[in-house]
Amino acid sequence: MSFLSFVHPVLSMARRLLQGGICHGQFECYPRLPGGWPLIRTVGKKDFIDLPTLNEDDLEEQFVRGSGPGGQATNKTSNCVVLRHIPTGIVVKCHQTRSLELNRKRAREIMREKLDVEYKGEESEVLKKRKDAIQRKQEKRRRASENLEKKRQFKEMLSAESKPNQDTG
Amino acid sequence: MSSLFKRVLNRYIGTAKHQFSRDASLAVGRNLPAVSRMTVKQAARLWEQHFLEHDIPEARLSSQYIIAHVLGAKTLENVEQRRLAEFLTDAQTERVWELCSKRLTRMPVQYVIEEWDFRELTLKMRPPVFIPRPETEELVSLVLQDLQAQPYGGKTGTTGLQCLEVGCGSGAISLSLLHGLPQLRAVAVDRSPEAVSLTRENAMRLGLQDRLHIHQLDVTKDGSEIVETCGVAQVLVSNPPYLFTQDMEILEEEILRFEDHRALDGGGEGLSVIGAILGLAPQLLSEQGRVYLEVDPRHPPLIQEWVEQRTVGLQYVETRCDITERPRFCILQKGEKRRGQ
Repeated sequence: MSFLSFVHPVLSMARRLLQGGICHGQFECYPRLPGGWPLIRTVGKKDFIDLPTLNEDDLEEQFVRGSGPGGQATNKTSNCVVLRHIPTGIVVKCHQTRSLELNRKRAREIMREKLDVEYKGEESEVLKKRKDAIQRKQEKRRRASENLEKKRQFKEMLSAESKPNQDTG
Repeated sequence: MSSLFKRVLNRYIGTAKHQFSRDASLAVGRNLPAVSRMTVKQAARLWEQHFLEHDIPEARLSSQYIIAHVLGAKTLENVEQRRLAEFLTDAQTERVWELCSKRLTRMPVQYVIEEWDFRELTLKMRPPVFIPRPETEELVSLVLQDLQAQPYGGKTGTTGLQCLEVGCGSGAISLSLLHGLPQLRAVAVDRSPEAVSLTRENAMRLGLQDRLHIHQLDVTKDGSEIVETCGVAQVLVSNPPYLFTQDMEILEEEILRFEDHRALDGGGEGLSVIGAILGLAPQLLSEQGRVYLEVDPRHPPLIQEWVEQRTVGLQYVETRCDITERPRFCILQKGEKRRGQ
């Protein structure tokens, strides 16, 4: 029996445990696992980043609640999310969209990336990916300027050859 | 008077032909800030200050959303720092002044910029169609979680998965469900012709019109027609008008003056439309089909009691809270009460 077929039922059970109960957060993507680390690596995916999983209990979320019953009785446009990771003190602010739920999701994604950098330092996948992207850009630029230089030299060569035949005006 | 300022005034008075023209000309008479060349950041600060001076709620956010929108972004956070220090073009300046003047009349930002986000979707907004609230995003998540967790009694094949929404407004709930579940088909009803029209428009903009049927029907009056037209669904979802009539008076101006009161007022105890929905539900649902309602925080125990004291063909499943921890969502299921309850 493969390792993956053992782990999937464990993760889906963790998800169900998290969903139960009244007055609980609705973030089903973040199963409650001990420590901060994922249990499995997804094999075969080139671009997959092993980001730390978030434990909702470690997070403190701030958004405007307001008094009164909320819901239809209010039309507030404040949906900026401030997320604090209690163990490390890392704070993420997200106001990328005008949807509260999407901002909460994005804030958690950003938090996972920041935690990755925090825990892994230089070894962080996030930093490595960024370094790779920068290197690829620099390589592209270098090749582009080499090509321009070659073209320039070729043009010069052509004009040098044609000069003796020109009548200057 | 600078020519830019003259153009802004003329454009503004020109647009005052819409229904809020009286308020619009009041705003103009109320001294708009002088128009001049300025940077994005300066314009945001200027209008924030102006809104504050005129007691416009959420002064900073209003200014930021409007200016971001003129620049083609959703929020200022999406605009590069460098861009914030650049000057607005004349055309952009005029547009900012035009939209901010509307906000000065207490028009909700969503109506000013004529759009808003709901989960992953951007929807067109138009008065007086009800503006989706953030709580309702959670209602959609609840439904999606349930539909994704269990393949709904194994019902695939010819009938497929169907949901019915009562009171669709701008179409937020149905369109969000359709977007999240490719195999879902949806039917939506609303008593308001403006809501039906706007939902249709949003469905077209999102390319979802083939999977959504919309009907102008009133759940409190057209019950049998709804049953005939809408068929049977595994999910019945609604954010029905649930405010108590007496609470309507204390609503903020943004809501009172611009949104459809009939999308808000649920009668004396806020239950008139909810009651109609629950009354029809057993005829509209498949076996073990579920009802998902957004309600006032006072409603869940009332609804639970009502369902448990009568034979209504529904069982009360559970109450869920919203992110502010207010009881907000009622889930019920078709079926008779189990013996001994």
